[in-house]
Amino acid sequence: MRASTDIASDRDGTELALGSGALLRRMLALSWRYRWGCLRLLALQGVLLWTALAALDLSGVGIDVVLFHAKAAKRPAVYPFGFTPPSGWTPLAEVALIAGAILLLAVARGALNYIYAVDSGKLIHERIVVDLRSQVYDKMQRLSFRFFDANSTGAIINRVTSDVQSVRAFVDGVMIQLVILVLSLVCYLVYMMRIDVGVTLACLASTPILWVVTVVFSRLVRPAYDRTRELVDQVVLTLAENVQGVHVVKGFGREREEIAKFGSAVQAVEDQQQQIFWKVSIFTPAIGLLTQVNVVVLLAYGGWLVTQDRLALGTGLVVLAGLLTQFASQVANLTNITNSVQQSLSGARRVFEVLDTPVEIQSPPDAVRLSRAKGRVDFDDVSFAYDAAIPVLQDVSFSVEPGQCVAILGATGAGKSTLLSLIARFYDPTAGRVLVDGLDLRSLDVADLRRNIGWVFQESLLFSNTIAANIAYGNPAATREEIERAARIACAHEFIAPLADGYDSVLGEGGMNLSGGQRQRIAIARAILLDPAILLLDDPAASIDPHTEHEILEAMQSAMQGRTTFVVAHRLSTLKHADMVLVLEQGRIVQLGTHAELLEVPGHYRTAAAIQGIR
Amino acid sequence: MPDNTTTTRNVPAAPALQITRLRGDEDREPDRRPLDFGLIRRLLTYTKPYAAKRNWLLLSVVIRAIQLPCVAWVIGAVINGPIAHGEPFSSVLAGALGLLALALFTQINFHFRQRLALELGEAVVHDLQQQIFTHLQTMPMSFFNRTKIGRIISRVTSDCEAMRIGVQDVLFVTLVGMGQMIVSAAFMLYYDVVMLGVVIAMTPVMWGLNRYFRRRLSRAYRNIQESFSRVTSTLAESVNGIRVTKGFVREDVNSQLFHDLVTDHARYNMKATRTAGVFLPLLEFNSQFFIAALLLVGGYRVLSVQMTTGDLIQFFFLANIFFNPIQMLGNQYNQALTAMAGAERVFTLLDTPPDWQDRESPIRLPPIRGSVEFENLTFGYDPERPVLHDVTFAAQPGQTIALVGHTGSGKTSIINLIARFYLPTHGRVLIDGIDTREIDADSLHHQMGIVLQHNFLFTGTVLENIRVGRPGATDFEVAQAARDLGCLDLFEGLSDGFQTAVGERGGRLSLGQRQLVCFARAMLADPRILILDEATSSVDTLTEVRIQEALRKLLVGRTSFVVAHRLSTIRDADLVLVLDQGRIVERGTHAALIAHDGTYAGLARQFLEALASRPAPSRSRLPGVT
Repeated sequence: MRASTDIASDRDGTELALGSGALLRRMLALSWRYRWGCLRLLALQGVLLWTALAALDLSGVGIDVVLFHAKAAKRPAVYPFGFTPPSGWTPLAEVALIAGAILLLAVARGALNYIYAVDSGKLIHERIVVDLRSQVYDKMQRLSFRFFDANSTGAIINRVTSDVQSVRAFVDGVMIQLVILVLSLVCYLVYMMRIDVGVTLACLASTPILWVVTVVFSRLVRPAYDRTRELVDQVVLTLAENVQGVHVVKGFGREREEIAKFGSAVQAVEDQQQQIFWKVSIFTPAIGLLTQVNVVVLLAYGGWLVTQDRLALGTGLVVLAGLLTQFASQVANLTNITNSVQQSLSGARRVFEVLDTPVEIQSPPDAVRLSRAKGRVDFDDVSFAYDAAIPVLQDVSFSVEPGQCVAILGATGAGKSTLLSLIARFYDPTAGRVLVDGLDLRSLDVADLRRNIGWVFQESLLFSNTIAANIAYGNPAATREEIERAARIACAHEFIAPLADGYDSVLGEGGMNLSGGQRQRIAIARAILLDPAILLLDDPAASIDPHTEHEILEAMQSAMQGRTTFVVAHRLSTLKHADMVLVLEQGRIVQLGTHAELLEVPGHYRTAAAIQGIR
Repeated sequence: MPDNTTTTRNVPAAPALQITRLRGDEDREPDRRPLDFGLIRRLLTYTKPYAAKRNWLLLSVVIRAIQLPCVAWVIGAVINGPIAHGEPFSSVLAGALGLLALALFTQINFHFRQRLALELGEAVVHDLQQQIFTHLQTMPMSFFNRTKIGRIISRVTSDCEAMRIGVQDVLFVTLVGMGQMIVSAAFMLYYDVVMLGVVIAMTPVMWGLNRYFRRRLSRAYRNIQESFSRVTSTLAESVNGIRVTKGFVREDVNSQLFHDLVTDHARYNMKATRTAGVFLPLLEFNSQFFIAALLLVGGYRVLSVQMTTGDLIQFFFLANIFFNPIQMLGNQYNQALTAMAGAERVFTLLDTPPDWQDRESPIRLPPIRGSVEFENLTFGYDPERPVLHDVTFAAQPGQTIALVGHTGSGKTSIINLIARFYLPTHGRVLIDGIDTREIDADSLHHQMGIVLQHNFLFTGTVLENIRVGRPGATDFEVAQAARDLGCLDLFEGLSDGFQTAVGERGGRLSLGQRQLVCFARAMLADPRILILDEATSSVDTLTEVRIQEALRKLLVGRTSFVVAHRLSTIRDADLVLVLDQGRIVERGTHAALIAHDGTYAGLARQFLEALASRPAPSRSRLPGVT
């Protein structure tokens, strides 16, 4: 599978690229699924908007009341909803009433805001995100290895984490926000127009400019920010490699060169940042100025209207000033939303790509169930390629009787790991058939098949969990006795038992550190826990110190007992025990026979044996 | 769910089923620290090289602190004056234009206030990062062995970032905010003392609320982060272990477990949402409450003619300017604490002296012949627990010395001492008869080559990686080094020849190729002393042959120390040192040691068992292998 990485990367996702239109439809459909939650949020926002306007209006009324009674204004205050205070009220009582109403509204707003926050949190965090993450994770596990070969771990993690966030950002950040925004802009506008059409239009004349400036700015700056991010990554990479390669740096005395390298990386960031700083420091004051120009217009035009007694000071001028600020900030919001549309679309594309990828390997509808295989394996003219142009296996045929051990030998890229993968049906052959117990794998239930197969990989791939949980990975319900039995067969019990926490020792980061040989013995125990009929050993000794290799050889020997075993190996010590040795070269079987037979004939096997110092 | 036959009625062995079980990081670094004026002063010294910029910035800060209340005051004044008094349009217009002029001035000043602060912060961080990196280069190997790489990286990234925000934002925004509050309070004082009292009475309430909720929120966010890191690390392991998951049919179980994990994460998110859901409306309520109070008290005072209506309106505008910074200051205060924590860690790192330093006037080595001697040398990474005891040996120029022994026997320590990555606790290492303690490290390292097990490659091309051995080498010299190793064809056969990108940590090359790049690197350096820790991982037999050939060529004519894992290397060595528990237990050539039939002969047998196809070879047959 190592060999396939380069090949598979070219094919990633090309067939699935969704157009923006289709993507938007998908997103709308997704929002529709949560429509009731969304509607509830919208309704709440409507009420909130109304209370905001009412509170602003009331404070204007308050000022007008005071002004009127203090004889500073000629017009009496106009109350909303056609309300008129009883004539006997003192001015102070009126003011107190207004103040009370403002407070009441504030309390109501507080409560509504809280409900809104909790409701939207529930919709987003507890429903949309959880649903999407679980779906993507579940789907991801079922995808073929091509997907994993083509994408780095980081990229896949991002699909489940940040890309899912951008999809939900579409629902709450774009869909809902957009509706709220349009709603509130319209409300503000209508409200302002009701106060005075002329002033409103005059003050908002600069809004299109504001909008254009913001859009142009964000277009201008975004690539610059992206570039900065790349340069910062470069700085981190330089530092990380300096630390990881500290032996090389010190061993060759290259400290000075490294300092220069780091210096130029940091300098590049600073130079890049200078440009951004200039742009930002022109944009922000410019926007500030535009907003203040609005106030100037309001003062001049609106002020003149007040002097002409055509506009109230409180409910007119002061309230308009408040609304103008709100309006400007909402317009700026609009730019944020358009930006997040772009972001959430590219994130969503990656999420839907995963969800839409067809599952390649599936059990057929009328799958044959296989409770316990006998362990006969046949390859019948099998050919396989990750990419049609580059065959990995060609016309491979052989048969293995139950309980036999087959050793596979060959150079890197000869197709050894691929051959093992076909037995577990991780891929389907491009031509020919693979049979277990005489049944074509494609007719079998995939889960049944894989439960009959135990795997040990080149790297032990243990999880950061207890030793027991790792051994019981294939059967979480296994009892401690079963786990121990497997560990004994794999010669692992002897080192697990004396550990302070025994089988409950936690492996991995922050946990126990075991040697390569010990980790592989746990991997072997994991493979044989379910007592599989077929055991696949993909060069388990590859990354193990030759001094300690014998530890795992013993474990391998005892694990093989009574199972059909395929073992990939370079070291002849492993190969000599095999009932059959299969030498692969560029995807073809070039030699097939027992150790003794192959030593007699000239060929790859004898060459390898000679190099390793064996007769 | 698997319905397999092995399930019994017994209790499952792993009761709380999880994909991964993570230990809490006990030695978590605190993310904030109280204000410390020593740290602040020290941080400010970094602005010294940019004193002109800093002083202009301070000036613009002072101007801005005055400008903001002035803008509010002018608005109020125009409303109170010309507008309220119904003066003719010309004077209203004059007022408005006055505001425009002030606004223009304010924004121009703001441009400088923003740009200078950004530039100053960036410059300070740039200098800090450089200084940290340069300091790191002086640290000896022991530092890198005991410090996690993540820690070192976060010194340069997140800690410097926190300090940048400290310089760029916290300092100047706080100054503007506080200045703005003082100036607007002065204005209000001028208008009405009682009303100022109302305003000031509100301040501690807002401040207190802010602090309380900020603290709760940051705790909630930390919990979210922790649960999120559980999600990502589970994901990472799931992806890395996907072969295991598929091979062992765990998809359904894992999906369920992951769903639980994500649901749990959502729970923490909801907690934060609820806190924020109380806090933000409360803040808003506060400002509404303030408007109501101002209206009530102000209305009363106006109506009872203790105050003019104009002053009331002024208050509305000025109070805004007074209150706006409070929430912002709360934020800045938190940032300041984060910056303090960052600064403390960065300065601690900068203040950590190297465990040892070169002598005042070290000896610069002339071109050396390459003799290496260990003289009664004892060494321990922790001086209390020596890992090498009383080691003495001498290597003549050009000899190959093989170091053999079990894991932990002290082989790596010996090469670490020769490379002067560490200094001996007792005894001496002599290079050409000179004690390494007296030597200038650079002059030694430039005559030394090193190839370690990990075969570390830097991101970049094959060419660049080889050139690490001698930065000034021409392309031709690099190719010549590869030719000398007999692997020129191999490098040229790569997709882009010497220009092939090796990928992160050399990931795009095979193990064997990576090793040959490291050999070429050492070959190019053409060192007198070569240190080589052979890779243990197995490569296929044909590549192995090439590596052995290249190795033989690399060793010619140099004093070489090889931690040997290959029998062929050991057989060719002039001297084999057999180590056991930090002592040299046997020494001699391979043949002599086999004849001696001691520890080495035993090791070699074990070695051969792993390697050879025969049953354990009898002693008498062993020399036949040589």
